[in-house]
Amino acid sequence: MIAKIWLGLFSGIAFGFVIQRVGATNANVMARAHLMIDSDIPKFMLTAVALSAIGLFGLQAADVGRTLILPTSIVATGLAAVIFGIGWGLAGYCPGTAWAAVGEGRMDAIFALLGGLAGTAVFAQFHEQLVPLLYDPTNVGQISLADWLGGKAVAVAVIAIGFGLCVWGIGKIWEN
Amino acid sequence: MKTDSRQSPSTYWRWFPASFALAGIILFIFATFGPPASSSGFASALKGFFQSAAPEYVNDKAHYRMLPGPGSWLFAFVLGMALGGFIGGRTLKIPVRDIPEIWEQKFGNSRIKRYAATFTGGFLILFGARLAGGCTLGLFISGSSQLAISGLYFGVVIFAVAMITARMVYGKAGKETQS
Repeated sequence: MIAKIWLGLFSGIAFGFVIQRVGATNANVMARAHLMIDSDIPKFMLTAVALSAIGLFGLQAADVGRTLILPTSIVATGLAAVIFGIGWGLAGYCPGTAWAAVGEGRMDAIFALLGGLAGTAVFAQFHEQLVPLLYDPTNVGQISLADWLGGKAVAVAVIAIGFGLCVWGIGKIWEN
Repeated sequence: MKTDSRQSPSTYWRWFPASFALAGIILFIFATFGPPASSSGFASALKGFFQSAAPEYVNDKAHYRMLPGPGSWLFAFVLGMALGGFIGGRTLKIPVRDIPEIWEQKFGNSRIKRYAATFTGGFLILFGARLAGGCTLGLFISGSSQLAISGLYFGVVIFAVAMITARMVYGKAGKETQS
């Protein structure tokens, strides 16, 4: 248990440091990314996902680590993403960058973090009503691209190539 | 003239090598813990608070029952994120601002206005993340790395909606801050 806490702390320090260094904790950079002016952060995120998918395929082949696919609820996942997107576009912070930006000393991020605690508390209060109402009826289960494409290797290739094309496209379209 | 972080953009890491560093950390997390997540850390923090303030409430609420308290990887991770941000901020010569330049150009330097906006934004991102079961990291990044449809679906929608929202918030001001 203690080992897990140290691993979490260490992983967080490394993660927070890297996202600070690339500018993801700077809400100005994030706003410029959303406005299609500065493409570095989206390219960074998508490339990291593509590399992680490839690496995770290797880890799983070696039977290392643990994975957990979250279910897809057509209504709840989509609605949650809309709510999330409004908050992300407005504040320029997401849950992870808010913590790192607080550490960096950004006052507006402290308020994003406080707002986040409030949002969590409100959701937790109404979890028993909201989940059966929004999540469960259209929950289609822990589906993955591997199920759809008939194999993990094919799905990893599709993700890597698809995200690679997105990075290329973003580089072309943004800053134009 | 106000300080502008874009005066020294070269001091931020370039995105391509940085994405390898982040992927390395993500894989380390998968290997040593499991799927990385950050929005759960908020719930763990609150669970710890309510455990001392109102223990009955925590036992009563499914959302707190399903997540560990602050003595967990999840909370240590977000705490570590703040430490990592702190170390990063202390060792980089880019001025840290309380109000982003682009916001100040559009809405002025009222702290109350900016803090109200980030509080509202923070509320929405966490409400959404707790409903979906994850955030940019816990659902989009870790989900997509695992080929999960939920992560890909969430990712497409958050990017699209955030881009539309940013356009509505900043309007033409965005283009005027071009460096």
